This record gives sequence, C-alpha cells and structure tokens, in this order.
Amino acid sequence: MAEFALTARTPLDGYDRTFGGVTLAEAAGLSLVSAAVPQGGDDAFAAALAEGFGASRPSTGEWVPGDRLGARILGMQPDQLFILFEAPDPDRAAEAVSAALGPAAYVTDQSDSWAMLRIAGRGVRAALERLCMLDLDDAAFPEGRVARTVMEHLAVIILRDGADGFLLMSPRSSARSFLHAVEQSVATVSG
Amino acid sequence: MSGPFRLDGGAVDRSRTLAFRFDGRSLTGHPGDTLASALLANGVRLVGRSFKYHRPRGVFTAGSEEPNALVELRSDAHREPNTRATVTELFDGLEAWSQNYRGSLRRDLLAVNDLIAPFLSAGFYYKTFMWPKSFWEKVYEPAIRASAGLGRLSGEADPDSYDKGFLHCDLLIVGAGPAGLAAALAAGRGGARVILADEDFVMGGRLTAETHEVNGRSGADWAAEAVRELASMDRVRLLPRTTVTGAWDHGIYGALERRTDHLAGSNGKPRQILWRIYSRRAILAAGATERPIAFGGNDRPGVMLAGAVRAYANRFAVGAGKRVGLFTNNDDGWRTAADLARKGVSVAAVIDVRDREPAAEVPGARIVTGGRVTATRGRHGLKGVTLANGERLALDCLAVSGGWNPNVHLTCHHGGRPVWREEIAAFAPGDGRPGGMAVAGAAGGAFTTAAALAEGHRAAVEALGGLGLSAAAGEPPGASDEAVEAAPFWHVRESRGRAWLDLQNDVTVKDVEQAHREGFRSVEHLKRYTTLGMATDQGKTANVGALAIMAEQTGRSIAETGTTMFRPPYTPVPIGAFAGRSRGREFQPSRLTPSHDWAARRGAVFVEAGLWLRAQWFPQAGETHWRQSVDREVRQTRGSVGICDVTTLGKIDIQGRDAQEFLNRIYSNGFATLAVGKVRYGLMLREDGMAYDDGTTARLGETHFVMTTTTVNAVLVFRNMEFARQCLWPGLDVHLISATEQWAQFAVAGPNSRALLRKVVDPEHDISNEAFPFMACGEVGVCGGAPGRLFRISFSGELAYEVAVPARYGEALMEALMAAGEEFGAVAYGTEALGVMRVEKGHAAANELNGQTTARMLGMQRMVSKRKDCIGNVLSERPEMNRGDGLELMGFRPVDRSEPLAAGAHFLAPGAEAVTENDEGWMTSVAWSPELGHSIGLGFIRNGHARIGETVRAWDGVRGRDVAVEIVPAHFLDPDGERLRG
Amino acid sequence: MLIDHPLLGPRDEAEFVILGDAGLIDRPDWQAEDAAQLFHDYLHLRDNPAGEHRELWFHEQGDRSWLVVTRNTLTHEIVRVELARDVAIARGRDR
Repeated sequence: MAEFALTARTPLDGYDRTFGGVTLAEAAGLSLVSAAVPQGGDDAFAAALAEGFGASRPSTGEWVPGDRLGARILGMQPDQLFILFEAPDPDRAAEAVSAALGPAAYVTDQSDSWAMLRIAGRGVRAALERLCMLDLDDAAFPEGRVARTVMEHLAVIILRDGADGFLLMSPRSSARSFLHAVEQSVATVSG
Repeated sequence: MSGPFRLDGGAVDRSRTLAFRFDGRSLTGHPGDTLASALLANGVRLVGRSFKYHRPRGVFTAGSEEPNALVELRSDAHREPNTRATVTELFDGLEAWSQNYRGSLRRDLLAVNDLIAPFLSAGFYYKTFMWPKSFWEKVYEPAIRASAGLGRLSGEADPDSYDKGFLHCDLLIVGAGPAGLAAALAAGRGGARVILADEDFVMGGRLTAETHEVNGRSGADWAAEAVRELASMDRVRLLPRTTVTGAWDHGIYGALERRTDHLAGSNGKPRQILWRIYSRRAILAAGATERPIAFGGNDRPGVMLAGAVRAYANRFAVGAGKRVGLFTNNDDGWRTAADLARKGVSVAAVIDVRDREPAAEVPGARIVTGGRVTATRGRHGLKGVTLANGERLALDCLAVSGGWNPNVHLTCHHGGRPVWREEIAAFAPGDGRPGGMAVAGAAGGAFTTAAALAEGHRAAVEALGGLGLSAAAGEPPGASDEAVEAAPFWHVRESRGRAWLDLQNDVTVKDVEQAHREGFRSVEHLKRYTTLGMATDQGKTANVGALAIMAEQTGRSIAETGTTMFRPPYTPVPIGAFAGRSRGREFQPSRLTPSHDWAARRGAVFVEAGLWLRAQWFPQAGETHWRQSVDREVRQTRGSVGICDVTTLGKIDIQGRDAQEFLNRIYSNGFATLAVGKVRYGLMLREDGMAYDDGTTARLGETHFVMTTTTVNAVLVFRNMEFARQCLWPGLDVHLISATEQWAQFAVAGPNSRALLRKVVDPEHDISNEAFPFMACGEVGVCGGAPGRLFRISFSGELAYEVAVPARYGEALMEALMAAGEEFGAVAYGTEALGVMRVEKGHAAANELNGQTTARMLGMQRMVSKRKDCIGNVLSERPEMNRGDGLELMGFRPVDRSEPLAAGAHFLAPGAEAVTENDEGWMTSVAWSPELGHSIGLGFIRNGHARIGETVRAWDGVRGRDVAVEIVPAHFLDPDGERLRG
Repeated sequence: MLIDHPLLGPRDEAEFVILGDAGLIDRPDWQAEDAAQLFHDYLHLRDNPAGEHRELWFHEQGDRSWLVVTRNTLTHEIVRVELARDVAIARGRDR
C-alpha cells in the first residue's frame, strides 16, 4: 500500500440539476480516447474498428455506436476519431483502445481533457440556441451527428444522442465557465 | 375613456386601465397603447425639446422613425434616455420624463438658443469655435455639451441582462405587414422553416392602422387571423417586437428582440436578445415611411405625419387634434381626412399642393387645391396655419403627407444604392442587394395593399422554388387597389420662418442651401456639414427631402444627387445587447489549473495569464508584502524543495512514423537523434527567422512524442504545426492532438526534490541520478499505480522534475506532494517565484521571446541548424540578423547593489544624452534575487558578450530613474549547471 | 460569412482563423541557389486582388482542417472551398 493515494475528481463534481423540462447532468464513467489513422492505413483501421469495437468508421461529423463497452465512435477530423466508451479500467483507457485496434491507430487518452455534460428534455433546443451557432434542427443535426464548435468563447464538442438529448464536451480547465453558460441558458428559457 | 382625445373603436383594450406618469404627472391609458398614443389621448402635445435650438416638439410619427418624441424611460439605474415614445408599449406604472431642457419643459432656459439661431446655422461650430485654440477643450466643448446632448444616462451600471442567440431558417421575412404576412402564409403552408420578424408588438403593419379590406374583411382582422394561423405552424417562428437591424454576408441577419421592454420588470430574464439569423432566403417586406413637406414652422407640436394621424385614429382610437387640417401632395393623404371624418374628428381643411379634383369626399372640410402652407402659429402647440393665399386657418393638428419612401435600408447594407423611380417619386431598391434577398410590397415601391399581398405571396413562391421547396398552392389574398398617386413636392418656397427638414438634429432648408453655397456638393459632405440624418433616427423622415432640396440647388436630378450610404443598424441597438452576457466576470471564460481549489484554500493570490488563473504567490501568516512571500518561496525551493503547478504549459501529443522528422523541421535545433526516454529543449522560429516559442519535447516511444509549449503560444503552435502537417508536408505520417488539459503537471524543484518524489513515485521505478539523469523522461506509476509521467527538466536551475498525472488526480497529487514534502519543509510556489528563479538562471521567457528577437540575440545561435530544412532557418541567415555588433541577451546588476532595477529601462553609455541615437538596448526582465541579495536584470545590449564588466546606465525615462549597471553573463547562479545535474 | 466546408457543409466564419494568401503552401526549396530570395518573396510578396482571392482558413473550432477558400474580396462571395491538404498534394507537396 502506497503512503499516499490519489482520489479522482471529475470536472463538474457530479453536477446534476433539473430546470423545468431540461436536465443537466455531468456524464460520468466515460473514457475518451483519440485514434489517429496512419497514412495509408484506412483499410487496416476500418478492419480493426470492426474487429475491436464492432463498428464501421463514421465520416467526419458523424458518430456510430459500437457493439461493446458502450462504445461510440466519433468522426472528429479527416484522419482522427474519438472513441467514447466505458473503459473497464479508466486508468488504462488508452491501453484498452490500443489493445482493440492494434497498430492500426495512434491513440491518445483524452478522458481528462473534457468536461462532459448531458443536456436533455423538451426545452433543450431553446436553451442551446442561446449558445450554439449550429443548426440543431432534426433535419440538419439528427441523432448520429457530432460537431466541434464554439460556444461562449469555449471549444465544445456537441453530439446528438436522442430526440431531445445532447452530450456536450468542453475543455476541463474552463468547465465551470462552461457549466455556468449552459446553466444560464437553460434557466433563462425554463419557467 | 382615458383622456379627452380618445375616440371609439381601435385596438386598445378598454376593459383595463394602465396608470403611468409623464414628467411626474399621473395619466392613464390602455393595453394596446404606446406611450405616444396615451400621451396624445390625454392631450399632451409638448413632449420634448429639440437637440440644438431647444424648440418645443411633439409626437411626429407613430413608428420607429420618430425624430421628436424621445423620452427618458424608467427611473434610477433602469433609466434609458432617448427612448422613442412612439414604439414604447404602455405598461402599468410606466414612468417617463421629457428631456433636453433646463428649468422646465414648458419654460426651457436654453430656448435662448432659438433666439440666436441666425448665428447657429450649418457649420457654426466649425467656424466659430476655432479661436483661441486653447478655448476648445476648456470652454467651448463643455458649454456645448451642456446645452446640447439628449437624455441623461443614469450613471449607474445597467441592472438588466441581455442575451444573444442563433436562429436558422429557410426563409426570413422582415416585416409582418400585408406583404410579409402573405409571404409567411405561402411559405408556412408549404412547410418551409420560416422566421417572421416585425418591430411592432402587433403584427400586421399598416393593416393595423388602415380601414382597407382584405379577403372581404377588415385588414386588421385578416392580419390577426393570419398571425393565429402562422402561430399554429411548427416550423414558423414569429418574432414580434423584433427589429432586423442589419444584413451580413451569406444570408446572415442581425435582429434585436425586445423581450421585456413592454413589462414593468424583466424578472431576471434577459431584457433583449440579439439574434444572429442564418437564412437561406430572405424577403424584405419592411414597408415604407412617410415623409413630410417642409414649410415655415413645420416643427410645431401638432404638425404630424398624415399616416401617423390616421394610425392614431384607427388603431389607437386617439384623435391627434380636435380640429385637424391636411396638407398633402398625394392621394394617400386624403385617406387620413376621410378616416378622421368617419371617426367623428372634425377635419377643418384639406390642402393639396396639386391643382386637381379632390381625391375623396371630406364632409365639412375646406378644400384648397394648389394650396401651400407657409407658416404656423402657437407657442407650445399648433393653433393655426397660414396659407400662401393669405388665408389663416385655426387648427390644432396639421397632418402632412409628402409621399412615402420605401424602407430600402437592408437592401443597401452590402453597398448597394437605391434607384430613384420617377413614377412613385421615391428611391426604391436597386442593384447590389444582399444575396438571396427579395423585396415585396411597399419596401419595393408597390404602395397598394393588393400589390403588397400579391408580391409577398409571389416572393415566397419564388424563394422556395429557388430552394427546391414548394409553397402552398393557392391564390394570394385579395384587396382593392387604393389610389396612391403622388406629385413630387418638397418644400414651400413661400414659407415664412424656418422650414425644417431634420427635426431631430434641427436642420433647416436654409442650412442645406447654405451648405451648397459654401461648396458642399456631395451628399456625404452635406450630411456631415449640416449633421442632416446623423441623429439617432438617421434621418428616416428627413433625408429624401433634403436630397431634393440639394438637387434643386445644384440643378441636378434627385437620381443624380443620390443618397448617402445606408449602414446597420436600422434602428438603435443598445450597447448592452451587443455585449450580451459578456460583462464583469463573464467577459471571458476562466481556465483553472487542477490545483486551483487547493491553492484558493491556501489563500493564494491569483494572476491572469491569458484565460488562465495561476497562483502568483502563497502568502503565509505574518507576511504583509508580496516580496516576503516570493522570497520565502524562492529560498525554500533553492534550499530544499518547492512545488509549482505548471499545467498551463501547452502540451501536444505527436505520433506517427514520421513524427521525429516532423519535429526536426518544426524546431530549429536538431531532433533527429533524440532517444526514447529523453527530453530535449527546442527552439521554434517563424519562417522569417525570428524566435517565437520554446519548450521541451519528450520521446515516449518510437513513434510517440509529447511537446510542451509556452502557456500563451499553445494555440498558435498547434495551429502552425497543423499548417505544416497539412499544407507543407502532407506526405509525412504525423498526427497531433492537444493534451494540455489531459495532464496535471507539477514542477518539483530543489535539492530535496528527488527525496520527495521517491515517496510519491512507485518504488519499482528507479529515479536515481544514474537511472534517471538530467533530461530523462518516462512513464511511471504514482501513489500506488496511478498512471504518471516523469520528466527530469529544470526551469529553476535546481535539481528538478516535472511529474504529471491525469487531470482528475491533479488536486490529489498536489496534496500528496505537499504531504510527502512536509519533512523537507516543501513550499508551494507561484508564478512570481518561478519568474525570479528563471531570471536568476538566465532563461528567456516571454519578455525576451517577444517575436522581435533572434536566436542569435538570445545566445542560441548554435540552436539553428544549417544542415536541415526547418521553419525559419533560411531567413535566419539574413545579414542584418547576424551582425557582429548586434543585440545580445546579458545579465545586469546595479553597481550600487541597493539600487532596484526596472524592466523597460534603456541602456546608455555614461554621460550619453537620452536620445534614440545613443540607445544601446533595453532591460527585459528584472527580479530581486534572494540568494544574491540584490536586484538583477536581463536585457539586450549591443555586443554584450565582449563588454562583460563594463558599466552602463539603465535609463528609465518613464519612472524617472537612471541607474549604473554592470554587464554580466545572463546566468547569475550555477553557471555550469551543476545543481540540475546533481 | 459562411464557409461551405467540403466535409461538413456551411459553417460560420467564427469557427475559423484566417492566415492569408494560399501561396503560403508553395514553400520554396531550402537548398535552392537563391533560397534567401525565394523565401523572401514567399513570405513577403502578396497579390491583393480586387476580386477572387485564394486564401487559407483554419477550422480551428471545428475539424482542424486547413482550407483553401476562393473568395471574392469585393463581394465576399465564396466560389470554391477545398481541403488545403488536397491542394498541397496536387501542387506536388509530399514529404
């Protein structure tokens, strides 16, 4: 037993609050690992992704579910994807993806880089239109879409995972500013 | 009945009475009233004083173009000056004050300006206040500002909140009059995503103010029914109380929505929202604005636009007078007379400048065709008018119509100019419209209701067709074509007294004529010389009349004279709305380090570094001056061990088969030979050869590197590396991702740093000097298996490490490090101590790497490889950057050791005059060194290395100091680096 | 402005950072005889056309693609948007 033990702290300290019809809650227990596709390695990557996560490769701006570990594969850049999943050991999340994809991807742990906030409920789009310049209409941004954009000067990854539900990710260091911005938007349009 | 001028009918809700106060006087009105309509209903005609001459003024219009009826609305911190009474919805408890007078509104002491008006004509300030020059700031300007100016600001912070937002649509329709409603119905019924915005609180535009029929029913009823239908459509969004203020590129429009201005309070919600609307197509259906005719004394309260008088009667059930006269050059003016007569208002006379048959029957009215009004009378309100034929009429209201100007503004926001159309005697939209914008109805010069309905419908069908969408089948709503003929007529030449053009800025016909005589031929010059159209109303009722006068003067046509530029916003937008939430602490986001809460609990003083808040120092009990804290932190670190959160440094994860080659091209020094498990310092140049960033890069694996950048340049370095990767060498297999936020990283520095880390790093890792020497790196377990990284690097010059763990463990690791260090007396140190130690060690930081310095200046010329391709190496060879006598980074110490030094001081030879030619360089950074016991500095000085031991002066003209300093090597401590290798 | 990203569709200018003339892709050979002159021209000599201009934009708050945007500097009309990487490869840049 080591003399000192480290306890983890999530960026939003488990925040969970409902305003009228909108629920805001920190998405806990998720690991996020980036996977960059080596040049010329597209076929190998597709095969590894199918083998390792049971998923096809999404195009940039889309996400697809895998068939294990609750994985979602996010197309972030032309040669870079994010894998959002429930790692068996969060301290070994990158290793888990590395094990699944082998040499077909360069992986980097991003789990601690982002605060993750799930926003859901009937008023969700009314709240987000005060923050998000993207068109979140059903036709323009249906389930299965993901985008990196900017809200209130902060980088945000927005992923639609339900008819009235979105997962928002924003850099950890400014998580409190981000939460405040979202909270304010939700509070403004509710009640 | 609220007020003696209230009529029957209209769209006010008589079942409720609203109490309000104007200039302290208690009055009442009804829901549906504006402040202006309620004032008129109560017989209040004098509502303010004019800007320059302090002339009595009354309500002139019934819309956002109002030049006169500007009031201070609400009280205390909520007070908002220059609010147009004509668009202010009445609410219970409303308080308003007239503005721009001294004494009382009725007896304004500054009305003396009006008596000396002959001296205050166009260009008066420019001509009069030139001499003596010194008088401008001290005498003239304060006096002018005191007598001019409009309402008063509260002087307090705005207590309301504002917001911004983003909306998307297939079709944006600007204006909800007949054209806009017809367009919205066609598009909405076809299933398109529609936004319909209107500045009024009731949609319907002129239909709310007219007696026209649409589809066989009253226009107002038809409009209300259309709005109900639109409100029921999921994909149609109605934005009443919303002004589309500007057209930007690619279908983007700005709009201001007034959410709570019609309520007594905002209840904590944003008062206004500034929307950015993304539209695929837009229809401008903004209607038209009536223009006056200029004649003597036409600014008297009671002289109003005819369409406004009609709107007050029909919509607000208010008679603007008891004995009304009409003065018109067009058929539409006659409708006011007819409608008033129908409402039971006595119409005393109709004066038409045209010599022709009456356009309508007006029972009981004196009809004067080919007539002119030359003068008015009445001190605080109209009592009568005089005609050119000498006839005098007793009137308390004169309704004036000079025709209508299409609201072309948004069509011109991309630099387009409107075109003069003779047949409507008005400017209509021309070429150069924003892409995707169509115009319908009166905004395009189609002045009849039937035409507006048809054009709106057709514009929607065409817009949707262009998008591959279809509008609903069906015919446009029908209405009869009213008579709208007009004869251009701008001002009455026979006028007695001043004939006013711009009521808000007090510009007269004479001013325009004078400007012409003085040689101002361009309309843009005319505007600026006379201030015509430069008030908050931007001359909506004034400009075209003035252009016509100018055209007369020059003998050119109005078309040739042209208009001034139209720029956003269409109507004023409060600064608060532009700011939105960005005020106070929310001006920008804050980035917090993983140990932020820990540091806050310790009472740390924080400093902003970009968006980051970093601990600057950690005061302890008994320390009263920051230097005490910083000196202690430095001494304790150098004496034992100190810990500093360095998470803010940029971290970039770099992977790929060609990652090493890529780094070799990004850094100016060689990276081709960096071994796995090693760290190297790297210098980055811009392509022009100047140094711009530095940091360390560690090789964690064959294809895996992690780079650190300076805190401020993290984003820029990443951007430049992506540029190199995608645009310069797209064939290299290299991948980048930011890891700044991923890792909490702490510097552990000082002779006891290794001993401390032995208690934290898991025991299977050998971190002895032999196994883990200076510039070693590796992945380690921390505190019993947490994933960590350890780097043996030193910014302080001491034996030092940086240890990193995933950010979620950052705060816990800070606590663990401090607990483990307790036996050594470990201190936490902040950015000040960090700075002191780096100056002592002679490390360059932002003050030295300021984008204007070269590797050679920094003493790093050996770090620019000549044997490889890398960013900046070719141009770093430029001769001027390699002169033998160039600036070199050196250390400086005061000859009198008790003297403090100051950054920014310039170096001069002893006895040299402090002029640019004698400048030898400057001090970049200073610190008080606890170890040396005196101030030290870094700076650039010509040919420094050859001058070690020489004494120069550090001359600081800003602070008035002149200190003799000795040139020394930049490394004040441990020049051979024995400590950090130990 | 909206930039019609070849992979993502129209995105607001606010997500982008502009660098300038797309000629910056054509970085000279460091070993050329007149490398200093070539780099000088590469870095400092720019056309400033009143009309169509090819310029580099970085989708920093997006997918991190560098784009070559052909924009009319008089009207802001954007006539073409390409991935800068494709442009660079087509212009012979490789390793």
